[in-house]
Amino acid sequence: MARLTRRELLVAAGIATPSLIVPRAGYGAAAFPAKPINFIIPYAPGGGFDVYVRLVGPVMEKYLPNKVSIVPVNIAAGGGNRGVAQLYRSRPDGYTIGIINIPGMFILQQQQGSGAYDLTKFSWIGTMGEGERYVISVGAKSPLKSFADLKALSAKRPVKLSVTGPEGTAYAATMIGTQLLGIRTQLISGYKGSVDYVVAAIRGDSDAVIAAIPTTMRFVRGGEVRILASFEAHSSIPGVPDATALGKPELDQISVERLIGAPPGLPAPVQNLLASALAKSLADPAVTKWAKDNDIRMTPHTPAQTAQLIAQQRAFFDKWRKYLATG
Amino acid sequence: MLDMWLHGIEGLLQFRELAFLALGMFIGLFFGAIPGLGGAAALALLMPLTYGLEPFTALALSGGVMGGVPMGGSITAILLNTPGSAPNAATAIDGYPLAQQGKAGLAIGAAASANSIGGIIGTVSVLAILPVAKNIVLLFGPPEFFLLALLGLVIVSTTSRGKLLRGLITGGFGLMVAFIGYNDVSGGERFTYGIEYLWDGVHLVPALIGLFAVAEMINLYVKGGSVANNAASVKITKMTSGLMQTFRHWPTVLRGSLIGTVVGAVPGVGGVVASFLSYSMTVQAAKEQDRDSFGKGNIKGVIAPEAAINAKDCSSLIPTLAFGIPGGVEMAVFMGILIVHGMQPGPLLLVDHQVEIYGLIWALTASCVLASFTGLMLVKPLSYVTLLDAQILAPMVLCVAFAGSYAIDMTIENVIVTAVFGVIGYLMVRFDYPRLTIVIALVLGASAERNFHQSMLMGDGKWSIYLNRPISAALLAATIALLVIPVVRAMLNQAANRKILVEKEAA
Repeated sequence: MARLTRRELLVAAGIATPSLIVPRAGYGAAAFPAKPINFIIPYAPGGGFDVYVRLVGPVMEKYLPNKVSIVPVNIAAGGGNRGVAQLYRSRPDGYTIGIINIPGMFILQQQQGSGAYDLTKFSWIGTMGEGERYVISVGAKSPLKSFADLKALSAKRPVKLSVTGPEGTAYAATMIGTQLLGIRTQLISGYKGSVDYVVAAIRGDSDAVIAAIPTTMRFVRGGEVRILASFEAHSSIPGVPDATALGKPELDQISVERLIGAPPGLPAPVQNLLASALAKSLADPAVTKWAKDNDIRMTPHTPAQTAQLIAQQRAFFDKWRKYLATG
Repeated sequence: MLDMWLHGIEGLLQFRELAFLALGMFIGLFFGAIPGLGGAAALALLMPLTYGLEPFTALALSGGVMGGVPMGGSITAILLNTPGSAPNAATAIDGYPLAQQGKAGLAIGAAASANSIGGIIGTVSVLAILPVAKNIVLLFGPPEFFLLALLGLVIVSTTSRGKLLRGLITGGFGLMVAFIGYNDVSGGERFTYGIEYLWDGVHLVPALIGLFAVAEMINLYVKGGSVANNAASVKITKMTSGLMQTFRHWPTVLRGSLIGTVVGAVPGVGGVVASFLSYSMTVQAAKEQDRDSFGKGNIKGVIAPEAAINAKDCSSLIPTLAFGIPGGVEMAVFMGILIVHGMQPGPLLLVDHQVEIYGLIWALTASCVLASFTGLMLVKPLSYVTLLDAQILAPMVLCVAFAGSYAIDMTIENVIVTAVFGVIGYLMVRFDYPRLTIVIALVLGASAERNFHQSMLMGDGKWSIYLNRPISAALLAATIALLVIPVVRAMLNQAANRKILVEKEAA
């Protein structure tokens, strides 16, 4: 660590003083960051969102000036509400950022009627890559061999689909997806977590399951699961019909987005600094290798693209909102 | 196969790996001993630090932590009746009375050896099961989970003999509390009274800290004095005999380890169930004249849960590794570490990363044994805690308990839950209601309800789903047998007594 000379201290004081008198006037990208940055994860350690932050966080440190650390802070209460509310209320100085689950938070807000934060007002920094798209699949031992088989079953009786509780993003995806595809359903709901309900389909609890691609691919590689159709506009899985082929392009809008945001009113220089550090870390070999191994696409989003993304998602889920809050 | 086992050991027997293993063990021991902190907290804190390590070294460190936690937890459970981590609550039931009798050394010695042996038996079972792990996990669906929960509740309720009604009352109260919060199946919250915290239900660990630590400190403070009644009795001379106790009670150790292994392999059930189930089964299996001494300082009551906890730690790797379904919070965090190091839990993990996984299993076992010995070395200074006067001890333990409760997820509501359950726990001690059933109901209530609903959805509302599946049918039969056997036994006893009476009269 370099030692500060008296002159440097004076300069630093000179920069700092006006910022005390005139709020925000002294903000310069050069001074930021001067202390560790808290990265709020509104879920318990060990989940998908937590892993992203703990993986990308240390890489992001490399691309920030002044060698500060990024500290993951798990605030798991209230299904994620408390963490996001705390982020929203924090001082917009760049020292508190957080990861936000879309549409998870839309669903939660709708169910809890929470007015503690406005999701469209956050200062966006970017995303953890591209949102995860969904596929519909069956256990390897299932008699259903194609999407046509599934449709035929639906004509005979409601198709049993395993899914998380109504608070989960998977629940919304399953409700909207089956609605769009015109499949009659009988949901077996309440499975905990995004892996459990796929295993339920493998075990034969249900006929089929609608799950995010990275989760599903893990089981496809092990030969446990067979994909019948993809909700992507252009299927990344060979030999499987996609949203275009099924004639339902809207399916591509069903996704899980991991947005990175800061409290409203973040000064633009700080926002840009954080955004470029995030974008660079998504392109870092340490992250890209992990992403490739896990079927995740780490395409970065600029703050403007992120704001646009959440507006799009808002519009899409508003259209389907009656399926987000059953029970 | 054998080849891979050896590769795993070979990888572990390097200076760096062993150093990190020992480090992990110390951290685990420490975190385990502090109420509120546990393996999950330790692993979460270490996760970013493992980033710079080789995957194998990171696993050695994690294995060290996970192996160290139970021993740490049992020390506080025995000395202060404060379970260092949730599963150790079962250890406190008989361990604390032993400490009160000045036999803390005996109890901790027994816990240490039960820990090691449980861990080793767990490892052997896992090594045997791992190749076919996938199939076992797939055998347990919602009907089986529901009946497993029911069986657990029945086993525990029938343990408190003579207090069956009181057991059922506290069990019922526990179930009521367990249903607070979000309804997983159909959505919507129940009994939350507009309090956001209660959406996630009453959190288990703060409640356990209240029921055991706070309740006991109130009790101690009201009575005055210290945990152990006199200084002379606290000489830790019985440690070796404590160690030997485990070998004298082979059936208890084996039963505990077996229960631990089975419960661990079933995803989503967790350590509390393993330790309490093992405790209850041991009480059930005890001879008539022996049974009354449980809860008053029976050494078997320490051995049974401790053996189960460590065996469970090994076998809960099965669902975590093979499917990515964590057995508990600790495993969930550990899964995060695996993912960060590019090892995605799932069917392929056991194929692609065999050496690392076997290394992890050996690390976990080695840490269990190491932690037992380290724990024993610390017993002597630690057990003087039991001589402290209540006026000094109670405020200190209460501080640690409340701070620990807050530390879990930095919410003040946790502290309130701990306080409320502290008062409830004290009243239960005071009026002699068993705390065992309330714990098991709190742990299993929500999952029993969820799995019941899911089963009914699966079976189109027909009850026959529980009979059409072999494992579920067997569990149902076991539950009914457990309820019927005590009644039949009592009737036979009565008949025998009558016969004796008749014979006496005839004579």
